[in-house]
Amino acid sequence: MNTFTKNIYLFWQGTILSYRALFAWLRPVTYMASKILMPLAQMFFFVFLGSYATDGTATDFYVIGNAIQITAVSGIFGVTFSVGGDRDAGTLPYLFGTPANRFMIFFGRAFMHVIDGTIGVIIALTWGVLLMGLDLSRTDLPALGLTIIITTFSTCGLGLLMGCLSLLTANVMFVNNFVYFSLLIFSGANVAISTLPVWMQVVSNVLPLTRGIAASRMLVAGGSLSDVFPLMVSEIGIGLMYGLLGYFLFAWFETQAKQRGTLETV
Amino acid sequence: MNAIEVNHLRRVYRAQIGVFNRSIKEVVAVDDISFEVKQGELFGLLGPNGAGKTTTVKMLTTLLIPSAGSATVAGVDVVKGANEVRKKIGFIFGGERGLYWRLSGDDNLRYFASLYGVDPSVSKKRIPYLMELVGLKGRGNERVGGYSRGMKQRLHVARTLLHDPDILFLDEPTIGLDPVGAREFRNVILDLQSQKKTILLTTHYMFEADALSDRIAIINKGCVIAMDTPSGLKKHVSDLSVVEVETFGASETALEKLRALPFVDSLSIEDREQKQILLVQTTRGAEAVPDVMTALEGQRVGRVIVREPTLEDAYVRLVGGAA
Ligand SMILES: Nc1ncnc2c1ncn2[C@@H]1O[C@H](COP(=O)(O)OP(=O)(O)O)[C@@H](O)[C@H]1O
Ligand SMILES: [Mg+2]
Repeated sequence: MNTFTKNIYLFWQGTILSYRALFAWLRPVTYMASKILMPLAQMFFFVFLGSYATDGTATDFYVIGNAIQITAVSGIFGVTFSVGGDRDAGTLPYLFGTPANRFMIFFGRAFMHVIDGTIGVIIALTWGVLLMGLDLSRTDLPALGLTIIITTFSTCGLGLLMGCLSLLTANVMFVNNFVYFSLLIFSGANVAISTLPVWMQVVSNVLPLTRGIAASRMLVAGGSLSDVFPLMVSEIGIGLMYGLLGYFLFAWFETQAKQRGTLETV
Repeated sequence: MNAIEVNHLRRVYRAQIGVFNRSIKEVVAVDDISFEVKQGELFGLLGPNGAGKTTTVKMLTTLLIPSAGSATVAGVDVVKGANEVRKKIGFIFGGERGLYWRLSGDDNLRYFASLYGVDPSVSKKRIPYLMELVGLKGRGNERVGGYSRGMKQRLHVARTLLHDPDILFLDEPTIGLDPVGAREFRNVILDLQSQKKTILLTTHYMFEADALSDRIAIINKGCVIAMDTPSGLKKHVSDLSVVEVETFGASETALEKLRALPFVDSLSIEDREQKQILLVQTTRGAEAVPDVMTALEGQRVGRVIVREPTLEDAYVRLVGGAA
């Protein structure tokens, strides 16, 4: 093996192992429930509530919004577990005692969740087609697929930042829930963003998901890749911004811990 | 070149105490420590709880920045060359945490091998070899969460050998193990010693330090108070013998009488169920026995033996004297 393939292999191996090591829904039953039933429950709830409120004229709006939003289960909860889990496992000293590239460790923790989150959205959309009358006949499916991957990526970026916060505080589950439920509103999954007060629109604009949901709605309605291209570029930018902020926080955490002696060792 | 060189290392922790009136308390964990460890040597750091052993090891393993002083490991400065040092060392902080309990033993090793950048073709052979070395052969597929404490601690040894480091830091590796587990563990350490690894071992078990170490530094309150071979340290007390007397509920007045005897250097008492063992350190050897017995007149006395001082006796004298 040459150095390049060796490094790819090691990254891949580390990524898969850390996913299995640190992700809470390891048991197949819990995992399947979170993957298949949880999206269904969330979609039923909001789709029926929303359809009722709009006299059934805007069902697709809620179906697509909530299906894409499902990616935050992996992007926020999953990634946070994967970054913060080392704190509970007591592995931080052993992790930071290795010469491994910190950038690789950090982004490796999110990698599998991008795949996982994408699958979650596809399952949710399938529920939409099967049970909620979602019509994808006019949709550019490859473009929709790309949008889902990009949206999941940017949501994972926010998750990486949250994960770093979980290294600093033990109360992160509260923060996670808060972020997840805020996204239900701010991302435009369940409310048209234009109807929100201005300050909320500002928040919407700096969050991941917002543009991804908007782009998905455009694609389902028959839009083309070039229509959603600008949205997708900004979505990638937002994901990178949060991911890099997270990485700098991660690097800062390591330095601080070494200076202050807070890298717990049992 | 020495494997480890420590020059006037010092570390002060700043701890915040009090929630409301916030004041900063400074704890001098390591005051001023210097020592050298030669290549292939097993060097013991011995000292009571809170002496600064773990803090020293953390600084040498690049996990903590010293407040003052410097240290090199494998000739590289532990602060400036941290990443270089990490490639050359392995380390264990005692206890069973620090592994991924949801993964199997083999997968834990695979993960850490990837972090150390070990070539996959190398780790494929090395992992089974290490599992066998630490006595976990055939258990590699089981989840670590189901391992016993001893198995987890031995898996840590395998973890730390993945990248075949020349220098190992073992901080209280046998802590919390039952006697059988601790003995198996010591055999693993002896194995490593025979492979010419340089080992820095911290412990507060005397016999362990005595049995394993080539040289020992005794540290107390963040300073080295003695440094020598085990037999060299015992020479500090070569003038002493120890009279061990088994008693059953000896009275306080009798013990006072014993302490008051001019030739009794120190008296320590070990409680064992219904009986006590009185350890009388004296310079008079066996001749002290009749006077000791007189002091204990009227008490129920069992076995009496006179023996050579052990490392523990040297330690008690050194640490006791410094306290
Ligand atoms: N992270 C920390 N913050 C504040 N004080 C600490 C910290 N770690 C250790 N100490 C204190 O430093 C001293 C030395 O601790 P340590 O190095 O763990 O000793 P040992 O390993 O010899 O038992 C102790 O008084 C301990 O309470
Ligand atoms: Mg300690």
